[in-house]
Amino acid sequence: MLQRWHILSFLLAALSAPSFSLADSSFENTAIVRTVDLGGSLVHVTTTYAVKALEPGQTVYHIALDENERHKTSWIEAKVKGQQGALRMEELAQDEDSKSHLFAVTLPKKLGVNGTINLVLDTVQTHATYPWPQSAAQKDPQSLKYESDLFIVSPYHTAVQRTKIKPSSPTVLSYTTPENVDQFTLESPVTKSGTTITYGPFHNIPSSSNAEFIGEHQQVVVVHYNFDYPVLEIKKLQRSAEISHWGSNLNIEDKIHLYNAGPTLKGHFSRLEHQSQNFYRTLGPHILASLTLYLPAGIRNTYFYDIIGNVSTSHLRTAPSVGKNARGNQFSVLEMRPRYPIMGGWNYTYTLGWDAPLEDSVGWDAANEKYIVGVPVMTVIPGTVVTEAEVKIVLPEAATDIEFISPFPALSSSISTHITYLDTTGRPAVSLEYKDLTDKHNGIIYVAYKVPLSAHLKKPLAVATAFLGVFVFALTARRVDLRLHKR
Amino acid sequence: MATYETFQALHKTLPSFSPYVAAPFLPYIALAFLSSTFALAFYFSTLPKDTLPVRETIVALIASTLGGFGVVALFCAIGVCV
Repeated sequence: MLQRWHILSFLLAALSAPSFSLADSSFENTAIVRTVDLGGSLVHVTTTYAVKALEPGQTVYHIALDENERHKTSWIEAKVKGQQGALRMEELAQDEDSKSHLFAVTLPKKLGVNGTINLVLDTVQTHATYPWPQSAAQKDPQSLKYESDLFIVSPYHTAVQRTKIKPSSPTVLSYTTPENVDQFTLESPVTKSGTTITYGPFHNIPSSSNAEFIGEHQQVVVVHYNFDYPVLEIKKLQRSAEISHWGSNLNIEDKIHLYNAGPTLKGHFSRLEHQSQNFYRTLGPHILASLTLYLPAGIRNTYFYDIIGNVSTSHLRTAPSVGKNARGNQFSVLEMRPRYPIMGGWNYTYTLGWDAPLEDSVGWDAANEKYIVGVPVMTVIPGTVVTEAEVKIVLPEAATDIEFISPFPALSSSISTHITYLDTTGRPAVSLEYKDLTDKHNGIIYVAYKVPLSAHLKKPLAVATAFLGVFVFALTARRVDLRLHKR
Repeated sequence: MATYETFQALHKTLPSFSPYVAAPFLPYIALAFLSSTFALAFYFSTLPKDTLPVRETIVALIASTLGGFGVVALFCAIGVCV
């Protein structure tokens, strides 16, 4: 009997071990404030943790995200409040019971007992909103719903927490009033001030990133709000950057599949209604008629076409080339109108490309005889999510010693061979794949490579060989007598 | 393996790329070299048929070399940067 009790207690301890690992007494959250800036495709969430260490020598703080939140999060960064540099973050394994995801944040310095620090966690969520109602006529407004968990989960005890949700439009159609939260607050669990909806303050919350708390107390809150801009999604972006040393040129070409993720069009598209809205400047908020893109300075030979052909409804104002090391906010502005207005649920696929001086993107390292090129991951369309992206950087023929680095982790990367005009052995191409890119993923991919003089001469040599073949043929043909009758 | 910050700093501080032949000169180089190739090809066709084709070979080599560089310059000049 005693032996069975020993075994039973051991089994109970083993089963509860994952929960114990997420209940940590090394820190206490004196306050957590989460601010949610609601957009269309993108939702920016800023969470501020006021942390107090309860044990000496603390260097790592754990932040928890529940499963829904982790699934929607595309960008995550932790900083000390008031400082610029991002802290080192490492994602740990998911807890099997609570499905919470833990991130270990390395603190800038060791905290002693009662030492405090304020951490700011910035995240961007994608595919977090959905249109409601799901369809809308041309004249109708556009409304979206956003769902979030009420409590901010943490492996540590939290003295007080609140969540502030701020829609971008002043019109909030409805929001959830939480129930059964008397244990954590004596006041109204939700208040609305202007356009800001505040859930909390909630007091004295125990370690919450475990199945027990989540199952018993966690609940979903939904905010239904108007959104006055088109909800844009780029379903697939294929960027190709081709480097030419002979032409001293960098060609960048984007193949974009654009999708309006707003409410689908109810009824048929009325050109008359659309023209009328254009005339009175009352275009529906979910209709995309034009787009303004900020392209690099110094570009030339820009082209914009779709499956039908060239799209002439665009206007480009170029900025002069600024050089590689120049800092500044100089952009070439492209105002483009798709061939047709993009209603909710509609797609538009187009190709946009340009040439740029290679001097603005490539540096030469004479010491190591290497070139280093910087290629932007994408041209950011503000407020737009890129669901799938593939960036291919085509290097000059016979480039060797290739090294590349991405500003943020890629889903996959590879080096392949790309064959184009006047190639003999083909050009190495570095390909990187990404998903769920946001405004924050506006980074530059760096590739270092070597191209010796012999590699540069490959192309002229190939063409010269072809010419020489013709001359050799002529040389031989002149000496062959094809006359039928000899004199 | 260098870090991202190393690459970024290196890219910012290194001197810019400088081509062997400046891009604005390429159309003129293409015109000159290809004209020369054409002229040499014509000259090649007028050469006597020697037993050992030394002159023909030399002319062919020069014309081919000029043609090789001329075609590459032509491609770049018309916008197909190879």
